[in-house]
Amino acid sequence: MDAAFIKRLQVIVGAAHTLSASADLRNYQYDGSVDQALPEVVVLPGSASEVAAVVAACNERGYPFLARGAGTGLSGGAVPESGGVVISTARLHRILEVDVANRLALVEPGVVNAEITAAVKQHGLCFIPDPSSQAACTIGGNIAENSGGLHCLAYGVTTNHTLGVEVVTPEGELVWLGGRTVDMPGYDLLGLFVGSEGTLGIATKIVVKLTPIQEAARTMLAVFDSVEDASQSVSAIIAAGIIPGALEMMDRTSTQAVEAFAHAGFPTDAEAILIVEVDGMAVAVDETAADVRDVCRRNHAREVRLAQTADERDRIWKGRKGAFGAMGRLSRNFYVQDGVIPRSLLPEMLREIAAISERHGLRICNVFHAGDGNLHPLILFDERKPGDVERAVVAGEEILRACIERGGSVSGEHGVGTEKRDCMALQFSPRDLELMSRIKLVFGNTGLCNPQKIFPTSRRCGESSRRLHRLEPEVAAAAGPAF
Amino acid sequence: MLASTPFTIALRDVLGERFRVHPDDCARSAVGGVVPKLVLSPRTLDEAARAVKIIAGEHASVVIRGAGTKSNRPPRRAEIDAVIDTSELRGVLEHKPGDLTATVAAGTPLQDLQFALRRYGQFFPSDAPFAASASLGGTLAANANGALRQRYGALRDNVLGVRLALSDGLVAFSGAKVVKSVAGYDTHKAFIGSRGTLGLIGEVTIKVAPLPATQRLLVASFADCASACAAATAIAGSPLFVMAMTLHDAGAAARVPALRASGAPPWTLAVRCGGSRVATVAQFDGAAALCKETGSDALRDIPAELVEPLWADIAELSAGAAYDPQSYVMAKFVAPPAQTHALVGAVRTAWPEAQISAHPYAGVLLAHIPAASASPQPGALWHACADNQWTVEFLSAPYARAQEFIAPLPAGLPMKVQRRLKAALDPAGTFDAGGFIGGI
Repeated sequence: MDAAFIKRLQVIVGAAHTLSASADLRNYQYDGSVDQALPEVVVLPGSASEVAAVVAACNERGYPFLARGAGTGLSGGAVPESGGVVISTARLHRILEVDVANRLALVEPGVVNAEITAAVKQHGLCFIPDPSSQAACTIGGNIAENSGGLHCLAYGVTTNHTLGVEVVTPEGELVWLGGRTVDMPGYDLLGLFVGSEGTLGIATKIVVKLTPIQEAARTMLAVFDSVEDASQSVSAIIAAGIIPGALEMMDRTSTQAVEAFAHAGFPTDAEAILIVEVDGMAVAVDETAADVRDVCRRNHAREVRLAQTADERDRIWKGRKGAFGAMGRLSRNFYVQDGVIPRSLLPEMLREIAAISERHGLRICNVFHAGDGNLHPLILFDERKPGDVERAVVAGEEILRACIERGGSVSGEHGVGTEKRDCMALQFSPRDLELMSRIKLVFGNTGLCNPQKIFPTSRRCGESSRRLHRLEPEVAAAAGPAF
Repeated sequence: MLASTPFTIALRDVLGERFRVHPDDCARSAVGGVVPKLVLSPRTLDEAARAVKIIAGEHASVVIRGAGTKSNRPPRRAEIDAVIDTSELRGVLEHKPGDLTATVAAGTPLQDLQFALRRYGQFFPSDAPFAASASLGGTLAANANGALRQRYGALRDNVLGVRLALSDGLVAFSGAKVVKSVAGYDTHKAFIGSRGTLGLIGEVTIKVAPLPATQRLLVASFADCASACAAATAIAGSPLFVMAMTLHDAGAAARVPALRASGAPPWTLAVRCGGSRVATVAQFDGAAALCKETGSDALRDIPAELVEPLWADIAELSAGAAYDPQSYVMAKFVAPPAQTHALVGAVRTAWPEAQISAHPYAGVLLAHIPAASASPQPGALWHACADNQWTVEFLSAPYARAQEFIAPLPAGLPMKVQRRLKAALDPAGTFDAGGFIGGI
């Protein structure tokens, strides 16, 4: 990258906010996936117009660019595979306005997800999407990935809680999609933009919807001697007309790994546990909790434990959120999938995963959002063992194929990015992909805005993935990565 | 061109006899009172795509028509080459009660869909207007949201995937058939509210919801709009999570017998509560207390068994289906919800004879103005909209005056991107060119 261009970026954002030393660049070569690539320069703009000017400069010189929030993404969306310019939103971190009466907030993209709720809690409001990384991930990244979270089962994901975004288009123009009101006249460009993984532009301001905080919640731990019974209970809870705030499942291997460090009180001899949280009005939650307990018992739960204190509840959730980090205790590497199936097919899908595990001689743990059928099978392997990597990749592909055969999706919440782009053809026909490619034209396809993401390359599913985790156990357990 | 023999042969090849050219036959599928030259009734999306491609090859335009319930929306077309009648694209193709999803052909009447789901204790959580005849596809294309969006989200929140056809014959699926997916662009979202100008919605995968175990309706009377809006704001911001709220002035409320029974107060707030028995009682009591606090002078309690039929009337009223489209102009405004009262004031000043209903949770206001007295371009109101970032659209106007009622577009709407979307998906302008906002 030539000095004149870097000089130009310095003029736009200031020399102090332009990084080009290799030691600095290394901090921007990764996200939460293991794909890595060095940017050529990093800028930290302080305003939307600076973002627009940087994008215009990139277009003029033909340099690729992408936006980066906290770098917690799990599919390579913020990895600058083509080099070029990384535009960090770190300095765009202000909550500009909280409008309690209209239940909305105007925020900049670098605001951390959890800070929104922290800022509005005093008014009895919250921002619903709560990815497990919410203490670190930013709202701009949430918009790009259409992030979910533990509580999206009942309340929806980011696209359902966004009213408007100010966007710098790939061509460098500043436009508003949506606004401060619902049902904006015109095509729903906001709906197209949210979840487009940074390929259709960069959000520079966001109007989020706020929701009243539920009066009360009850968190339960249901313990099962068979995975089958646990997954039947999930279907039975939904079939009973109960939509819990959260409905999570962990199998035995996961529970044991978590319990060893988190001391969440998970029984280590159970084949599976469900974590069920119901919420609602104070006078009504106990009744709903009792209904859930009855359903679980009818499906052979050996115990249904209601968290009696806030501390007990927090420990359960801490255990759940730390599950992936705990895998570092079990295996040198793991490979995680994010496939979705219709939730009623959980029992047969878990049998299928067990069969895949056996076929390839690899342990596979399951920790996932059972309520909406969003699986996170963790394939454990050791990269030092010959053939392990290849078998893990094939097993992962087989799991995704099994999801698609059951009418599901290759990604429930982690995004496609670079990691799953070559699996897109499993789920989408060439015609479906052709339709998507036309959408790229709409916002101005310069070929420079987060290039090479989402769309398949010529490789087959699994081949492009380098998503094979190596975690040092202590580091992993302390960080408690976000899934 | 459309009458040429090769063209007819090509269409017959695709549709058999399921197209009409005789004016008397085509009159049944008129749109906004304009009789098309040709009406196609495909039975599958593939048939529809092939037929549209043939028509596009003749440089003719196509208007998509479901049940025709929203065809009075301006602008009125001078002429229509062809109509695709979706009524043969019908049926609940798949319903998975355990997954709370269903896949439905777009021409399926909402009423049929609700009937099919109800057998499993479920429903499509939308109280869109014209419920007795409107199709699912037409409801989505019009983005005809009802007040149930308060608890269940808007239509866009309850559509998981769409199989659609473009004018060049491309049939593709966007989205997923499961409740959670982030793979690829949500192209289908752009079709919701596109009014048939991007392509044909063929099959829709929706989220469905369990019917609440019990329901109750609170009908609160208010002497003034400010108090009623204050109650609505308090309820919307509370953790009561009621199902829906609607607000009506005296003229609007008088059109529903059960609301009229409240003695035609100046303002009526209807609050639909539902859930478990205990939760429903708590919602009702909580909402009633907030109404009293804000000055309601009378509260009525509508028991469970009467809630759904009464709400069906209210839903039609607040969405305008209860008004004769040749006698009334219907305008939809949207403001930040806490500005509903200010919006009511501005609309009332512009059109003193307007009858007003609102969905105060969402900030949506629906004004029905007697056509005889309706000024189509109320300058002061348009200024208020621009100043406050309120949006306005005309949903219906009498045929004779349709061309007068063109609402101003919100400032800053990115028209270039809007136009590019149309150009990317329907480059030849086959689907109702000029029928969308800004002449798109």
